Amino acid sequence: MSAPPQLSVIVPVRDGSATLARALTAILASELPRNDYELIVVDDASTDGSAEVAARCADTVVRLSGRRCGPAYARNRGAEQARGEVLAFVDADAMVRPDTLPRMLRMLSDHPGAHAVSASHGHAAAEHNLVSEYWNLLLHFGGQRQTGTSGDVASPCAVITRTAFLSAGMYDEWRFATAQLEGIELGKRLEDSGSDVLSSRDLEIVGMRQWNLASVCQEVWDRSVLLARSLGYRRTRAAVPSEVVFTLRPTFAPFFALLCVVVFSAAFLPYLNVPAKLGLILLGAMVINLPALLFLVRRRGIRFTIAVAPLHLLVQAISGIGVCSGWLLRAMVGDRAPDVTIQAYAEVGVEVWPPVPRAPGC
Amino acid sequence: MPSADTDDRPSGELSERRAAPRRSLIVVLPENHVVSPDRLAEGLRAHGDQQVDVVIACAGQPANLTTTQESLGEAQLLFAPAGTTTEDLRELAMRQAPGDIVTLLCGDVVSESCVDAVSS
Repeated sequence: MSAPPQLSVIVPVRDGSATLARALTAILASELPRNDYELIVVDDASTDGSAEVAARCADTVVRLSGRRCGPAYARNRGAEQARGEVLAFVDADAMVRPDTLPRMLRMLSDHPGAHAVSASHGHAAAEHNLVSEYWNLLLHFGGQRQTGTSGDVASPCAVITRTAFLSAGMYDEWRFATAQLEGIELGKRLEDSGSDVLSSRDLEIVGMRQWNLASVCQEVWDRSVLLARSLGYRRTRAAVPSEVVFTLRPTFAPFFALLCVVVFSAAFLPYLNVPAKLGLILLGAMVINLPALLFLVRRRGIRFTIAVAPLHLLVQAISGIGVCSGWLLRAMVGDRAPDVTIQAYAEVGVEVWPPVPRAPGC
Repeated sequence: MPSADTDDRPSGELSERRAAPRRSLIVVLPENHVVSPDRLAEGLRAHGDQQVDVVIACAGQPANLTTTQESLGEAQLLFAPAGTTTEDLRELAMRQAPGDIVTLLCGDVVSESCVDAVSS
């Protein structure tokens, strides 16, 4: 019997046939020998023929039927089928570079204390519209801030040893049924168990998802609410450096907060007219976001930055309101959990396929 | 993976689910490809004691179909026109495979002389 592959690449997909083929082709174009890895695609109840697209390249296709349970759940089902000692999770809308996976494996073997390595979004976007390019650059900016031990098992591409993944309790499919932040949460659990999560600025993927104003706003809102609601105040603060929507450097925060208060207070002075007040508010907001705006200027020039500055301010505003709403929801309603029927099935321990979501460690 | 909230279908559908996943093995045999009995046996062994639905997808007339069938027992055969690519065969077979967990096994290329030998 042939030896199991060293690496199991797991790709969760939900109605992602438009990008899945390119994502899988990029994995197959990896510098890793084909016999060294197996390719597992987990289809989360797609209705667009994603499973058939997956079958064109994959070694195993796991088809989940019925209710859609999200990428954390899908990755866990893929991991259960995996034979490799190392698991790689790659999103269906992410293209790895040929050297990404081999370098991640090398980092893992070169650092004995590390059990996971994350890649981040590159600056290039596969889709060329203003919003997609802005959001990819912001994701890239977030990724560039993380290097060394980041504590974030980044969603688009991460490798992790099977042992660490299982001992950490796998992804939290109980609370994270949507596609945000499950990697940050898993990273925190790995850190708590003494495993480092490494990241490097050079490890990049190309995001293929097409973004528009509505989808970016929705993403920012969902991430911010979920971050505050599921991680709580202390862990939200700890997770902020890993979270792309917070583009302010933590060390500058007190200074900028003071400046913000001064500027906003001035905006309410009676002797200033409305445009002047609005100008002051905008100035304060721009100053707060200076690191991100300077990054955008360096990458794409002043004209692009001016064009996306209002969008960036909108993103920051949505994020701020989202975080406050998340904390409020946590205090008033509690943490997120599946609906009562799922909770009841889980409590009884019903054995069905696809399995009922379960909390980490259960 | 594209993100969006989970849908709101009632979780009563849980009762319609199976107790265990159904497993399928797809054997892909493009033209001038064969798969050895050892690899087939290994593919079946990977599923343990569970029942496996086997689908053999061939392009044209495969060289060692009888041997393959004997190794696999009951299998669903899917014949595609000669010249059908491996990827298209895989996709066609996937549409026919009933499994929740589908393993795909592709044959190896053989030279013309080997094909003649196996056929005879």
